Amino acid sequence: MAEEAASAPAGTEAPPPGKMTMVAGVDDSDHSFYALQWALRHFFPPGQPQQYRLVVVTAKPSAASAVGLAGPGAADVLPYVEADLKKTALRVIDKAKALCAQVSDAVFEAVEGDARNVLCEAVERHHAEMLVVGSHGYGAIKRAVLGSVSDYCAHHAHCTVMIVKKPKQHKH
Amino acid sequence: MAEEAASAPAADAGTEAPPPGKMTMVAGVDDSDHSFYALQWALQHFFPPAPQPQQYRLVVVTAKPSAASAVGLAGPGAADVLPYVEADLKKTALRVIDKAKSLCALVSDAVFEAVEGDARNVLCEAVERHHAEMLVVGSHGYGAIKRAVLGSVSDYCAHHAHCTVMIVKKPKQHQH
Repeated sequence: MAEEAASAPAGTEAPPPGKMTMVAGVDDSDHSFYALQWALRHFFPPGQPQQYRLVVVTAKPSAASAVGLAGPGAADVLPYVEADLKKTALRVIDKAKALCAQVSDAVFEAVEGDARNVLCEAVERHHAEMLVVGSHGYGAIKRAVLGSVSDYCAHHAHCTVMIVKKPKQHKH
Repeated sequence: MAEEAASAPAADAGTEAPPPGKMTMVAGVDDSDHSFYALQWALQHFFPPAPQPQQYRLVVVTAKPSAASAVGLAGPGAADVLPYVEADLKKTALRVIDKAKSLCALVSDAVFEAVEGDARNVLCEAVERHHAEMLVVGSHGYGAIKRAVLGSVSDYCAHHAHCTVMIVKKPKQHQH
């Protein structure tokens, strides 16, 4: 890694060559915002030169997939579901932007699709070296039924995957 | 996190007292390229060479399987083989530790441990013992079937470790 001149760390305009890209996956859950805050605290310390470029990605499921099992009359509901999903995604992005206020190099994306694919594609697109996701802490059965985005990403993302867990109890 | 004074770079090299709340990172290694790649990746990203201050305390852990578990399915005559297997496993674990020590030469605050037991439990216990905030492991990149049969240490740790788990993958091809 290039040694940075320690005498001019604050407000460095030109990112050092080889600045790493980190994708952070967020959804509308406490676990994922905890993961984002954890990443910010450890990798984007205020006042120090920022070594990473942050890309915050949220996946917006398509309305059709969200009401998939509804049956007749589903078509009528679609526009409302679509509007609600859009609103949720925008709210997630706004909350993420507020959390990342001190990050100089941050990009925010809301992408339509299943979270698993959206995150892995975002990693490819941004040539990210790291993907940060939260973990709902589901047990084995819930995982089998609901699926686990963090598991999928741990297996399929082409970069280092960091799974941040919200502690269930105060450890120390 | 305490804001570090960016105006005093001269005092960074060879800082004796770790800043309060220095994070502990456990790195699991075994005798495979994937896990040394993961260790080197972690060193490259989290332990930049001086004069930058080291923000982490590194604990490198390797698991030495017990000889009995390694020859478990051998059948009669296994008992005779045990001492040789035990010696070989010990040698492997020491070799892994030595290789890790040479890789981590730049790290000021590093501890190396070889613990007997299954890798899954050893790593999760090490996290508990050192109150680590992060666990770094490599990934063999097994497919679904191999995982089901052989088990995956990184999967187990991702589910059961009580801290952030970082799974580092050795790229199969040169990405960019």
